[in-house]
Amino acid sequence: MSEFIHLHVASAFSGHYGVTRPEMMVEAAASRGESALAITDRDGLYGAVKHIGACLKMGISPIVGVDLETVDESGLSLGRVVVLAHGHDGGLGWAALCAIVSTAHRKTRKQQSPSIERSELARLAVRDGVALVTVLVGNNSDVGEAALAGNRTLTAERLKNWRKAFISTRALVVEITSHLTEPGSPFCNLQANRLLQLADSMGIPAVLTNAVRYLEPDDAITADVLDAARHLEPLGMFTLQPNAQAWLKPASKMQALAVEITQDRVRAKSLLDTTMALADRCRLNPPNDCGWGKPKTPEKSTLGIDGNPFEVLWQKANSAIEWRYPRASDNQLANIRHRLSQELITINRLGFATYFLTVADVTQMIRDMKIRIAARGSGAGSLTNYLLGISGVDPIEHELLFERFLSTERSSLPDIDIDVESARRHDIYREIFKRYGSNRVTLLSMQSTYRGRGAMRDSGLALGLDDEQIDDIAKNMWRFSARTFRNALGTKPELAALAQSVESDRQMSLLVDITERLDRLPRHISMHPCGVILGDATLLNLTPVETSGMGLPMSQFDKDDMDPMGFLKLDVLGVRMQSAMAYAVRELERVKGEKLELDEIPRDDAETFKQIRTTNTLGIFQIESPGQRELTGKHQPTEFNDLTIQISLFRPGPMKGNMIAPYLDGRHGFATPEYLHPDLEPILRETYGVVIFHEHVLRIFNVMTGCGLAKADEFRRNLENPRLAPQVAVFFKQKAKDKGYSQDTIDKVWATLEGFGSFGFCKAHGAAFAMPTYQSAWLKTHYPTEFMAGLFTHDPGMYPKRLLLAEARRLGVRLLPLDVNHSTDEYLVQPAPRVTTDPDEPAFGIRMALTEIQGVSEAEIKRVIEHQPYTDVADFYLRAKPSRRTLERLATVGALDQLANVDSHTRGDIVMRVRELNSVVKRPNLDPKQPMLDFTVTERMPTGNTEMSTEDRVVAELAILKMDISGHILDKYRPMLDAMGVTRSDELVHLRSKTEVLVVGVRVATQTPPMRSGKRVVFITLDDGHGCSDSTFFDEAQQRCASTLFNTKLLLISAKTRRTGVRGVSLMAENAWDLKELWVNWVKDQQNKEAPAFADAS
Amino acid sequence: MLRVDEVVTVAVDKNGQPIGFAWRGENFLVSAPPIRWFARREWWNEAARVQRGIGAGVLEVEMWRLLACGVAKAKSQFELVHSTSDGIWRLVRVFE
Repeated sequence: MSEFIHLHVASAFSGHYGVTRPEMMVEAAASRGESALAITDRDGLYGAVKHIGACLKMGISPIVGVDLETVDESGLSLGRVVVLAHGHDGGLGWAALCAIVSTAHRKTRKQQSPSIERSELARLAVRDGVALVTVLVGNNSDVGEAALAGNRTLTAERLKNWRKAFISTRALVVEITSHLTEPGSPFCNLQANRLLQLADSMGIPAVLTNAVRYLEPDDAITADVLDAARHLEPLGMFTLQPNAQAWLKPASKMQALAVEITQDRVRAKSLLDTTMALADRCRLNPPNDCGWGKPKTPEKSTLGIDGNPFEVLWQKANSAIEWRYPRASDNQLANIRHRLSQELITINRLGFATYFLTVADVTQMIRDMKIRIAARGSGAGSLTNYLLGISGVDPIEHELLFERFLSTERSSLPDIDIDVESARRHDIYREIFKRYGSNRVTLLSMQSTYRGRGAMRDSGLALGLDDEQIDDIAKNMWRFSARTFRNALGTKPELAALAQSVESDRQMSLLVDITERLDRLPRHISMHPCGVILGDATLLNLTPVETSGMGLPMSQFDKDDMDPMGFLKLDVLGVRMQSAMAYAVRELERVKGEKLELDEIPRDDAETFKQIRTTNTLGIFQIESPGQRELTGKHQPTEFNDLTIQISLFRPGPMKGNMIAPYLDGRHGFATPEYLHPDLEPILRETYGVVIFHEHVLRIFNVMTGCGLAKADEFRRNLENPRLAPQVAVFFKQKAKDKGYSQDTIDKVWATLEGFGSFGFCKAHGAAFAMPTYQSAWLKTHYPTEFMAGLFTHDPGMYPKRLLLAEARRLGVRLLPLDVNHSTDEYLVQPAPRVTTDPDEPAFGIRMALTEIQGVSEAEIKRVIEHQPYTDVADFYLRAKPSRRTLERLATVGALDQLANVDSHTRGDIVMRVRELNSVVKRPNLDPKQPMLDFTVTERMPTGNTEMSTEDRVVAELAILKMDISGHILDKYRPMLDAMGVTRSDELVHLRSKTEVLVVGVRVATQTPPMRSGKRVVFITLDDGHGCSDSTFFDEAQQRCASTLFNTKLLLISAKTRRTGVRGVSLMAENAWDLKELWVNWVKDQQNKEAPAFADAS
Repeated sequence: MLRVDEVVTVAVDKNGQPIGFAWRGENFLVSAPPIRWFARREWWNEAARVQRGIGAGVLEVEMWRLLACGVAKAKSQFELVHSTSDGIWRLVRVFE
């Protein structure tokens, strides 16, 4: 039996339409012996690279096309057609397809789906009389529509229009498809037959497809749910797919279908033959047609280089040695030169010189823009990167290895990621486009996929469940794979209620099933948060682009597609902490005139480490999380390298590998470090014999086998692969033996490598992170006011702002209230008049910003700033023109206090005045030439209204600013908390181990980090106004408080203390209650206690 | 047209095409090539489970339009539903 090749196949990358991932389609087709398979996603080539990769892997020919909406000259729809790129034409077909897709998206105005004008399509389809693509006109086109209606004349006329547009080319075929629907409805045999007859009568070739949406009939149910998500309507409220026939049918079924449609065995055979012939024409040769796997970098000229790029790189790097190592001895210089030569030889051998020059050029450009920049990831292990200014971490000082980053054993393009100020990220993108030209640059896209809650919400929508019900369920879905939803029902205490309703409620049961089906499917495409592609002038022949949210063109390929396509991707990651630090530096200079070069501060400041050791690390990069705070208490870092180690330890790998405890034992002298062999001591001294870093593994391999560091990194990678690990073992044991190590040593070291190798962390990455960690800690120690202002303005951390506010208070930073005369859109550092006689009282404070007012618009804030200062409330009302709502909110939180004489007027008076102004129907227009007698001459402040109590102020602040400034949320509950004997969070550190305590507070963080045992542990952090307490909930405790575990905001927790180190204390939770509920009951009890006399009397 | 919903016994040929069926005590023989198509069901109103791998049967049914005549009756057109999940045939429409 001959084969059948599918030419019209939507993958899961056809958002909310296709069901099956390309890899699965390809695998199925290949396993049936089909020699090629097409992918034709809707509106783009979103799944194309994955499809090509899968085809190459399975040894079949990839075919790539797109399913596109077409319109005529006046914009009227001509329906959807499929466009397939021709192959083996040196990339002309692929380039034409890219151009067609990009054009369809270029015409897109917001809210309108992509489409291409037919004449444009015809123009791009042909070059010099040669067809570069084939257009398939079928059921979904205007021709198919007329055929279904049975209007022969109209059908013929429409097909003639297509032929006319594509005159004298072989770029047009008629697509015949039947889904065996009821006669007379779309995709029935009749429609297919009519199209075929017409094609035959006009002499246009016809091909058979199955307009595939999914791999197997079973997937049709998932397709229904995706249709509902696309229509944003429940199932039954829109036109559904007619049946479950749109699957990847095998050749036998397609051949039978051909006979059923044609009712003629001979015609059926020729239909299948034509299909095969078109398939042959479209088989792609990925390297020649798509530039597959060939690295592309900007041309030398765009980088301003003439001559050999490698020589330029060599020159640049060598001449920077003086700059980076001004005080190096001759011996050190020799070492540096030697290492640099080795790196450069590797770079040259891989042909990546232009790549490094490009990245260096971009980083220099960013620095010229006066934007903070730092490298991250394994790139920090390269001396070349350090010398080119790409990275700021000295790899020699921190003992980082180039081979972990790049080696001749691997040829994939290296990944250099750079962190910049998040607030300036878009400026950088625009500058990159300007510098290299928009034909060489695009942004990178990202396919977001369905995960637990999202899958559940769209499933609920499909079933027509009401939003509230869905929200309730979604709230309790906490970090588990929705793919195993039904399984989770039986094991997770917080899902117990849902599990019960699934038993009794059919709809709930369906909800679970379809949520499982949706999980992991691509959901929609968006701009990748940091990726930029830099190519040469042919870039847009190789990738289709569409407009991103920020207006710049974005490739339809995602990060996994970059390496196969040979695209140079640069991650320019916006890091809020970099913005916060830049802001602090700026404020320092603006207010106090002090210039600070943050990258040049000494790295051994004792004060900074002292501050870190208190565990008050809120706001410090990387070490502010509850887990890191606890680790800080145990670890007590004293130098920069300690920060690198601590950041690296608190990662999934080292945690699963149980590296923390042995390291701490060694560090604190509880255990004698075990180095296994004297040769390994220099390598492992920094971590007391514990293998933590990838760099450790590389060095051990190198020392004991003499294999070289590049080869060692290959071994390290292979260790993680159970198939390859045994070969590594054989090599290691043999070579180590040859080098004279004892069998005992070899076995012990191998056990360590085998057990720890795959859990380790890249030290270069840790060291790169440690830099901003140290810098932010240093700022917090020496310039807390400026630093906290930066944190408030750029909000880099994991905690709510109200918690940072409490931290600022704890540090003695003065918080200046909202004031329409002084507040702006940023948290400015401002001089503050002294209010006490304390000589240490800071003369500066942080002015609260206007941005926190709920519902305030950017335009309002702009107006307020523009017209500052104001003389009185009416003046503010007239010139700043706030909305009624904003004006009242400003008055309520005290932002107008300074416009009234607060000695003679209460907050109540000001609110009253604002209400008077708000009651005026039309705000009078201020005309400078027309004095306004009745309104502005005298400010009439009412008097005698009551002052707002502190409690009322806090309530108002929480409602309007989401922050408690005048007091703490918990103040209201004090009487009850005192009666209960609740422990303050800052008292915990003084308690003995195993003390029973009650702690209380506002939930600021919930985490379920990976555990070595695989069991789930829940960490909840509470803020009580004195600091944070961290409670750990193990299995039993989770069972007891299933309903409060993830949902409740104000909590009371009963727990036992557990001391973990000098400053380390954690709480083993036993139970948790909703504080508000307790309060209601307590208040009732109090009233009953006071009321019995009345009760008796009545 | 008569709307009914009754389980019927159907005889099929080797391709699965109906050749005759029994309804209300009478045997009907198919007298012209039948027409087959696939229609859908509202599984969200009917099914208890739709987990992955349950099969298209909860979504899809096979439909047959037949011209057939009984011993005592004139030729009529019939529509039958064939459930692919449980193999049951139901007569749903009779055009007389």
